[in-house]
Amino acid sequence: MKKSHIAMLLMFLLVIPATLFFGLRLSGRAYYFTSTLVIVELLIPFLLAFENRKPQARELVVIAVLSALAVAARVVIPIPNFKVIFAVIMLSGIAFGPEAGFLVGAVSAFASNFFYGQGAYTPWQMFAYGAGGMLAGFLFAKGRLPRKPAVMGVFGFLATLLFVGPLLDTCTVFLTLPVIHFQTAWPLYVSGFPVNLSQGTCTFLTMLLFGNPLLEKLDRVKVQYGMTEEQDGL
Amino acid sequence: MRDDAFSKRHPAVNFVFFAGAMICTVVIQHPAYLLAGVLGGGIYYLLLHGRAGLKTVLGWLPVFLVLTGMNPLFNIYGNTVLFRYFGRPYTLEALLYGGAIAAIFVEMLLWFGCYNAVLTSDKFTGLFGNLIPALSLLLVMVLRMIPNLMRKASQISGARSTIGKGTAEQDTTKEKLTEGMTVLGTLTSWALEGSVVTADSMRSRGYGSGKRSSFMIYTMTGLDWGLLAAQAVLLVGMIVLGDRTAAFTPVLNIAPIGGRNLPGFLCYLCYLLIPIALHIKEAIQWRISISKI
Repeated sequence: MKKSHIAMLLMFLLVIPATLFFGLRLSGRAYYFTSTLVIVELLIPFLLAFENRKPQARELVVIAVLSALAVAARVVIPIPNFKVIFAVIMLSGIAFGPEAGFLVGAVSAFASNFFYGQGAYTPWQMFAYGAGGMLAGFLFAKGRLPRKPAVMGVFGFLATLLFVGPLLDTCTVFLTLPVIHFQTAWPLYVSGFPVNLSQGTCTFLTMLLFGNPLLEKLDRVKVQYGMTEEQDGL
Repeated sequence: MRDDAFSKRHPAVNFVFFAGAMICTVVIQHPAYLLAGVLGGGIYYLLLHGRAGLKTVLGWLPVFLVLTGMNPLFNIYGNTVLFRYFGRPYTLEALLYGGAIAAIFVEMLLWFGCYNAVLTSDKFTGLFGNLIPALSLLLVMVLRMIPNLMRKASQISGARSTIGKGTAEQDTTKEKLTEGMTVLGTLTSWALEGSVVTADSMRSRGYGSGKRSSFMIYTMTGLDWGLLAAQAVLLVGMIVLGDRTAAFTPVLNIAPIGGRNLPGFLCYLCYLLIPIALHIKEAIQWRISISKI
């Protein structure tokens, strides 16, 4: 068993249940603190797995470029509030697999917050964006889903609307509400819905128009520079 | 901002301070502690951001009031009913609890505002560069590439507009979208080609052949060790020497701040005043050294 796997098992079986156990007995803002701590603990195994693998230079640089692209892409489209970031993260996951997708998502969320301000929501965003990339990588790996623009577009729409968006709304629920039960939480999810819908539409359009070109470009770079899967772990 | 004394200390001191202050903020909901935190965070925020900061802080006042007033609408526990609306009670205890929650929210905003100004990305990567070298390097590369890619994007769209292919204000959304996607595609190709060259260059210079060291302009001085120790002592003192019980609903049960609980509160207060004290000390020293000239 690899070291990173042991760390992951320990985290999931011991540390997170312990945090929940003690966190819920804490007086005061138990939700705020406990939930954020659990999210950080969820992030750590994924990030450590990458760290322990001692990534090659090429892998490192390609992930860096994709993360930077996800953040910088917002200035490229001359339409206000058109968010490309989810589409780029999910396409990275589709092209390079779940692990790379998670990493691109988490890193781009963290890096963009250096420009727009870090907050208690940072770990939540890192986790939500990363989970979106990982889901894409997982569902499109080994031809489970065909890499057709329409399929990717619909996947992007649904994943943003039903998975990444609600995860971010959950962050708002945990960080702003003093008492959490169904009655207090649903208004926040409802008010988050239009935002998720618009971001889902952006993701759909980007996947439809840009999905195949990006995948082709990635393949082209792989062929051009002889980066095959066995050689560089990409 | 640049002449703030606490920002010039070792990043470890800064990081530990903010971690301690933020954890205390979310865990403790005693009103006196919250007031101390809001004042400590607020004063330091204003010292860091100056006149522009005052506007931001005043902008958070309505947020505070709305969050405070909202809580009794959801939370109906509490014995003292202020008034009833549609038969639902609006209680004093829930209102006070809302105030505490809102204060925590605003205090977090203040501390994160200070954190963003003090712990810049170079300090963060310097601090964690030895612990997580690959991820730190990744972060440094991304942070450098974001402005770089934005510059490249404007070069691409500039070049396209000179051959009559850019976008104008009156274009339809569809035209803007296709144009944007074309620019994004070009940008991707450019960035990826560059990335492979970078990677090959890194490899030929020996990336991965040995242990990486990271550039760190800060070294731990005696003052830094002293500050770290003081922070630790004050936090432990706060935990041991005071009762911070504070329950709001259904009955107010707040531990008194005086008497036996006073030392713990004073420890917390001193902890929060560390950056402000350093800032003021340096300002006074600067005044004295100017007056000598």
